[in-house]
Amino acid sequence: MAKYIDPHIHLVSRTTDDYEAMQKAGIVATIEPAFWLGQPRTEVGSFKDYFSTLVGWERFRASQFGIVHYCTMGLNSKEANNIALAEQVMELLPLYVGKEGVVAIGEIGYDDQTEAEDRFYREQLELAKDVDLPVLIHTPHRDKKKGTYRSMDVAEEHGMDPGWVIVDHNNEETVKEVLDRGYWAGFTIYPHTKMGSERMVEIVKQYGPERIIVNSAADWGISDPLAVPKTADLMRKMGIPEEHVELVTYRNALTAFSLSGQMDENDWLSAPPIDQTKKLGGNSVLRGGQVPRVEGPSDRVEN
Amino acid sequence: MNQHLEIRNFLIQALEANSEEKSIQWLKQKAQKIQESNSSTPLFLAFSQASRFFSKDLLILSEQEKIQVDQLVSAFEPAHWNRLQAARSFLLLNLPQEKESWFSAMNQLFETADMHEQHALFAALPILPFQEDLLTRAIDGCRTNMTLIFDAVALNNPYPASYFPEANWNQLVLKAVFMQRPLYRIQGLEERRNSALAEIASDFAHERWAAGRNVMPELWRLVAPFMNDQYLADLEKVLNSTDDLELAGGVLTLYESDFAPAKALLADYPDLLAQVESGQITWQKIGKEYQDSRV
Repeated sequence: MAKYIDPHIHLVSRTTDDYEAMQKAGIVATIEPAFWLGQPRTEVGSFKDYFSTLVGWERFRASQFGIVHYCTMGLNSKEANNIALAEQVMELLPLYVGKEGVVAIGEIGYDDQTEAEDRFYREQLELAKDVDLPVLIHTPHRDKKKGTYRSMDVAEEHGMDPGWVIVDHNNEETVKEVLDRGYWAGFTIYPHTKMGSERMVEIVKQYGPERIIVNSAADWGISDPLAVPKTADLMRKMGIPEEHVELVTYRNALTAFSLSGQMDENDWLSAPPIDQTKKLGGNSVLRGGQVPRVEGPSDRVEN
Repeated sequence: MNQHLEIRNFLIQALEANSEEKSIQWLKQKAQKIQESNSSTPLFLAFSQASRFFSKDLLILSEQEKIQVDQLVSAFEPAHWNRLQAARSFLLLNLPQEKESWFSAMNQLFETADMHEQHALFAALPILPFQEDLLTRAIDGCRTNMTLIFDAVALNNPYPASYFPEANWNQLVLKAVFMQRPLYRIQGLEERRNSALAEIASDFAHERWAAGRNVMPELWRLVAPFMNDQYLADLEKVLNSTDDLELAGGVLTLYESDFAPAKALLADYPDLLAQVESGQITWQKIGKEYQDSRV
């Protein structure tokens, strides 16, 4: 069965049904970029607990469904505009960027392209260089083309190697420049807006599979946690060769984010089989009386 | 030499036998930095980054080392530790022991720790300075739903038996039952049995039976010293089971009880009684087999 990586998905907002469906569809690893939560945070402690969740509870939760969970750490561009709070978050970040499974600084970049966003984007590029992590750039939804180019200009101004930068949320208008300049180009497949799977197929046909990475960015909005495997299926149906499908839905993400030294194919290839009884002890995601899922032969747990 | 220094030396020696030279060099260098720094940052960074230098493979100790460490801190069992947590614990013991700054650094570590870091922190409780003031933290650790972290507090750790008040102790044991953790690995379990816990255990069994589910056989160990007519009725139900382990647990409970009717009931199980007397049936064996074959 084909294996997939969803290198951009906000799992704290997803249900256990999603996790089960993702695992069944072949997703073996996910990357959860630190982002905003819809409701703006007003205290630095909210960031602290959110960051801790990304490296703690959510990673544990994912493991119960046979999915290896990584994350990126960063101050998102929207909340960078609350300068007093943003300064405190910047002090907090060094505590998290060195933790296991943190594969990049991100998602950072521009939203409204304000001065404050620019300041904290630059500070975080410097942080990434300090700790030898790749960067995941969130490109703005409004004034996208200029915002994307500006993100790359500033990254280069700070001496970032484009091979260490994943520029996300691309479309037909931005992809050429991003690839030409040597960056990784992320594409988010949304069910109704932005990129649909059909458009994605056309882009891969036109530009080839190199340095292109597909993701779902599924979060608390209308979005599809199966976008990566569904897009892969459509690519196959439209005649895109299997090795190209593999590159854009698995291998490229692995190559880019494993620059961090924190992501290794063996993390899932040699992982022990899922056993909810062992790991959960019957009371974290399983409720009383539910029969845990066990791969391979094992007695039914009665207790 | 003070005790923390001795533990520190023990850990680094154990790690030296288990790790690569460059990892040990890194660790010693960071320890030096932590000792000399006025800020907590070197500890925070090294504590996280230790995962890049030390594996989660078991820390292998010689028999002599196991005896040596038990003499240092009674019932401390780093033979259950992995190398990464040993390295992290070593780093913690290099933090200067100025109470106020020590707590401020430790609180920050606990509050920002990832899963494996929490694992290291909670398992290190019995070797930390100011450990008596970490009781609230330890009790909070038991509220987790991550098995790895619960185990770090509850299993092979002398801390809870030494410090937990009865109500919290009872919650810890009950939660271990609920999560199907091996009770024989809870240190001080036998000594800290109490009548309230026996009652909780019996109530728990009744709840499970009402739901048509079984109860882990190790549970009855909690009841043995407080045997009465009510608990004996529970045991009779257990002894009607067709499960070998439930029978073994039931008979061992009767055997350990001084309650005359319990002794009388034992006579109905001569074969199992013989196995108890010859040491073939023990709580450890029951617990182990239950974990291996039923969980």
